[in-house]
Amino acid sequence: MRPSVNRPPTPDARLDREKEPSVLEIINIKLIESGEKERLMELLRERLIECGWKDEMKALCRAFVKKKGRNNVTVDDLVHVIMPKGRASIPDSVKAELLQRIRTFLVSAAV
Amino acid sequence: MSKQNPSYTNPKPCKHLADYKLRHGLNGFKTLQNCLKTTPYGRTSVSKHKSETPRCSLCFGYQGRLYFCLICSSITCSSHANEHSQSHHGHEIAVDVERAELYCCVCRDQVYDPDFDRAVVSKHFMDMPSNVNGVEGVVEESNKRRRLGLGLELEWKRSKRLISMADRRAKSIFPLGLRGLNNLGNTCFMNSVLQALFHAPPLRNYFLSDRHNRQSCRRRSSDRLCLPCDIDVIFSAVFSGDRTPYSPARFLYSWWQHSENLASYEQQDAHEFFISMLDQIHVKEGKSGNQDKDNRDCQCIAHKAFSGLLRSDVTCTTCGFTSTTYDPCVDISLNLDMSFCPSTGMTNRTTKPNENAIISTLLGCLDLFTRPEKLGPDQKLYCQNCQERRNSLKQMSIRRLPIVLCLHIKRFEHSTIRKMSRKIDQYLQFPFSLDMTPYLSSSIVRNRFGNRIFTFEGDESETCTEFEVFAVVTHSGMLESGHYVTYVRVRNRWYKCDDAWITEVDEGVVRASQCYLMYYVQKGFYYKASEDLSCLPMSPPGGESYLPIAGCC
Repeated sequence: MRPSVNRPPTPDARLDREKEPSVLEIINIKLIESGEKERLMELLRERLIECGWKDEMKALCRAFVKKKGRNNVTVDDLVHVIMPKGRASIPDSVKAELLQRIRTFLVSAAV
Repeated sequence: MSKQNPSYTNPKPCKHLADYKLRHGLNGFKTLQNCLKTTPYGRTSVSKHKSETPRCSLCFGYQGRLYFCLICSSITCSSHANEHSQSHHGHEIAVDVERAELYCCVCRDQVYDPDFDRAVVSKHFMDMPSNVNGVEGVVEESNKRRRLGLGLELEWKRSKRLISMADRRAKSIFPLGLRGLNNLGNTCFMNSVLQALFHAPPLRNYFLSDRHNRQSCRRRSSDRLCLPCDIDVIFSAVFSGDRTPYSPARFLYSWWQHSENLASYEQQDAHEFFISMLDQIHVKEGKSGNQDKDNRDCQCIAHKAFSGLLRSDVTCTTCGFTSTTYDPCVDISLNLDMSFCPSTGMTNRTTKPNENAIISTLLGCLDLFTRPEKLGPDQKLYCQNCQERRNSLKQMSIRRLPIVLCLHIKRFEHSTIRKMSRKIDQYLQFPFSLDMTPYLSSSIVRNRFGNRIFTFEGDESETCTEFEVFAVVTHSGMLESGHYVTYVRVRNRWYKCDDAWITEVDEGVVRASQCYLMYYVQKGFYYKASEDLSCLPMSPPGGESYLPIAGCC
């Protein structure tokens, strides 16, 4: 009996969250609230189409569906298949541009 | 023959979706409308509480795809959506938060429902000023289309009589309609286009069935100049069976009379010639004073064969108001798509693209043509809704396809700033069979709203969207001193028409050529045309396929 009294309380995910939002989360919240996230998403979509990234992902998806058969593929499958290659093949210029935009936003938001 | 395009058919709902609809009908969809947020670009997302970031109720993650349960409104991420449906019976259908698309948590896959799509898109109409994104109605009856020029096919039977009585001096066993054209002094631009037009089914049928009768034309008009008459002469000459190269001198003279500014022995542009020729046919044959904006009603053979309708949508990026205009066209001019390189990774627009690594495709060019284009800050257009000049987005699409589709690749770049012109030699890969469905207005407008299975504008399913190439006009050399050659496809064999020389070539040669003008015809017309050319036997398989039939020059 006694050991259980001294046992620390079972950690609750919910309570944990309320304690300390990470920096990433704060930035995300600020981006969404100001509407900047939406603008950045539109910009990102535009850049990824322009550089051919979207077409390449489409081609990967098609190849996968062809291999597996149209009725044996779910959206989840596709996402898992292309995610690693997709993440890796984003051009550096696109990353740089978006990071710059976020930096600019943070500077103006901090004021 | 069913013309149903598979992408428009309603995919079968999974049993969970079917179940959901039985039990809840449209109630959930209607309630969802209150939680939807729309953007001027056409995107819809689920946004229940404007200030909160959506998070998974099980792991509090906010990244990746999140799903909003249609029963209890709780949000789960893709890893936990399935768990939610397991612990809550009946909570199987959810909505992708970022895209407003249906998802089945049990099947772990996207599902489709027309009522859902209707509810989502209606939200756009409610939120935005009228005519948002250029959509004219949620569902429209498909317009009754007059079947253009199919009556011409019957006329072809008549003309068979004329041809079977033709001169059988022909030494070669090439199919009809192949005859060299002499170069009269830098006239390869004219010869190349003429060779292509000889094999355009509607045009060929028209002239060979004597629809433009030279005698009655001469009687009718006092004006001795008639380009269609001269075209008729050439058609008769080319299809007569006589294989000696023909000199289209009279036609050239006639064309000069009509286009004084182009009358010279200088090298001209084949595309410009093509446009001018169609224009001259129209002037002579079309209903005089036909001010109809849509050339659909024009009876001249040029428009019947080549006229299509382009749609242009200009959207204000501030309020989403879209203004739509329709313009008739006889061809589509495409910029070369220089961006895609599939095998070795992407070309970066900022770094100098390695020309060898870029593969441009015709489909890529068509994609580029129909891609939404951000108009620059110096091109702000007036928005009727905002009542001032705003940044805008422009998007082109094809409202109505012509019977014969002429695609022009813009290889000649003229820079007014530097007072220089140059030719773009970039190789362009093109297919022999082309499906134009993704470039139709119905497809383009529909895609603005995400993955919907819904058609908005009058369904163009009546028009055939599958095309077959029948002629390719190629250009080689430099801007000022180049040479045009046409490859024509007759009964699935390719023939190179180089001024007076006609030779059969392998299709690989055609694929490798530098295309400039590509002529595609609706599939139905192509196969019918192939059947009808059964007057002369085909060249034997294998062996002697490289018989030149002219070369006296």
